[in-house]
Amino acid sequence: MIKITQWIVVTLVLCLSVGTAFSQGLAPPSNVTAVDTPNDDGSSITIKWDAAAEDSGVSGYQILRRIADGELEAIGDLLPIGTTSYVDSAIEKGTAYAYIVRAVSETEATVDSDQTAPVEGKDQWFHTGKIPLLITMLLFSAAILWNIYDARSGKDIFVRRIPGLEAVDEAIGRATEMGRSILYSTGLGGVSGVATIASMTILGQVARRTADYETSLRVPCRDPIVLNVVREMVKTAYLEEGRPDAYNEDDIFFVTNSQFAYAAGVEGMMLRERPAAIFLQGTFYAESLILAETGNSVGAIQIAGTDSEHQLPFFIAACDYTLIGEELYAASAYLSREPMLLGSLRGQDWGKLLIFSAIILGVVLELSGVSWITTLLQRVS
Amino acid sequence: MKRQVPLVLCFVFGIAMIFTRFSPHSVSQWIYEEVISWVLIIGPFALVLATVTLIQTHTTRIRRRTEHWQYSLVVFAGLIIMVLIGVPFGPQNSIFEWLYNNVQLPMDATMFSLLAFFIASAAYRAFRARTFEASLLLLTAVVVMMGNVPMGDFIWNTIMSWSPWTDKVSEARQWILDNPNLSARRGIILGVSLGVISQSIRIILGIERSYLGGGD
Repeated sequence: MIKITQWIVVTLVLCLSVGTAFSQGLAPPSNVTAVDTPNDDGSSITIKWDAAAEDSGVSGYQILRRIADGELEAIGDLLPIGTTSYVDSAIEKGTAYAYIVRAVSETEATVDSDQTAPVEGKDQWFHTGKIPLLITMLLFSAAILWNIYDARSGKDIFVRRIPGLEAVDEAIGRATEMGRSILYSTGLGGVSGVATIASMTILGQVARRTADYETSLRVPCRDPIVLNVVREMVKTAYLEEGRPDAYNEDDIFFVTNSQFAYAAGVEGMMLRERPAAIFLQGTFYAESLILAETGNSVGAIQIAGTDSEHQLPFFIAACDYTLIGEELYAASAYLSREPMLLGSLRGQDWGKLLIFSAIILGVVLELSGVSWITTLLQRVS
Repeated sequence: MKRQVPLVLCFVFGIAMIFTRFSPHSVSQWIYEEVISWVLIIGPFALVLATVTLIQTHTTRIRRRTEHWQYSLVVFAGLIIMVLIGVPFGPQNSIFEWLYNNVQLPMDATMFSLLAFFIASAAYRAFRARTFEASLLLLTAVVVMMGNVPMGDFIWNTIMSWSPWTDKVSEARQWILDNPNLSARRGIILGVSLGVISQSIRIILGIERSYLGGGD
């Protein structure tokens, strides 16, 4: 009798379990689509499906794929509930794949979706998500080009006074009067860095003046390619000023490409040679303050300029003049007074005006509950 | 001709690199990676040239017995020892690694640690409350510093115990970093970005040529 009772209980429990599984109504994932991932090089396919209801009993999804009439294979790990898309990056270009999304319950019961149509990854020539970025870049470029073109007509272009650049002549004059050298560091950046190129163009202008005044110009370099470009630039500047005899190749030299060893080397030069003027222009990192403070301690007039916003406070605290961010790029135009270069500066200002207007418009629209401009900017990847 | 070829190359590669930023196509990505590889190839050749320059500079100093010429001997000693061990035995060699870990790294760390003293001296000058702006800077710096160190909480709470801002130093510090500080940084970044675009256009179009070793 006891055994019969036990058998009945076990049967009932089993029936209840099966009943519960059925009552969970494990439905197959719906609206499963597979598309070539947009804006990529054809190396992935994106699979999407609708989210399952919270009480559906689904605990996760497994993605399965098949090539033409081949076997189904599981790809990736079990995806958690709530996932509605998967990017398959392990595909071969030119091969069509069909996908099935398998819903898995906590009891490991499974149900498969319909198989998607076969799809293959294709290269795309243009990233459509970058259209706003392209338009913005074209607008800025057009503004700069228009102003360069306009400047060629000989119009007088107003450029605001930049104290750091006004002081270049003063620094060189001071070094000449004191009979001491000028130290110029192009920073730690390589020749591909725009800040380094800007620094080298300023150096070209400084070299013209030192050639005129016959002042010693010392340039310790950290990058071997920068060293060679700088030597050529300074040499040409001296030649164009008619002072090739004053050019000394040994004054432009390689120190090391190690960050702190470079800082130690330049710091040592400052303390031994006590230059009257120090230019720190380009890309700097943690060594910025080491150099600037040492320069300050030897009493040199210091003109710094960098686009590394984290180093700017150090330069401002320790140097006499600091070119902040864009002023570094404006320096070559400012110093040479070449109309076409000055025109590009005005174009830059137009760009700033455009950004400023967009910020004001965005703030006003956001405060009014309209967020399309914010959404548009967030879409720019 | 000496100028025109580099200018044409600069224009072509400049435009091509801009194109690669907007095209995910595998051909475009191949061009990008290939050009980057070329830059890496040029590096070692330039390094050889730089090493020759280094040797020339220090040889001249030793020969002429210029002031502090003895330091040049140290440069040569370091260079020769590292080359003699590093070139035949590779960077995994135990002596090479020992020299790197026990000579170069501690010296780098020493230079880096000097920053603490330089920050103190620079801060002293920057925070002297002589003007309204400098006083504001000093006040802001004090709040940020207090928010950053555990001791700051204690000091702040002792001083501000009478005020509704007790226990608020971390919030005050975060507000300063998230609002005025971040706004200023973003302003600088926007200016820098425009400057980079402008400089790039000037270089690509050949308006700015000083980097070629000549005048504008």
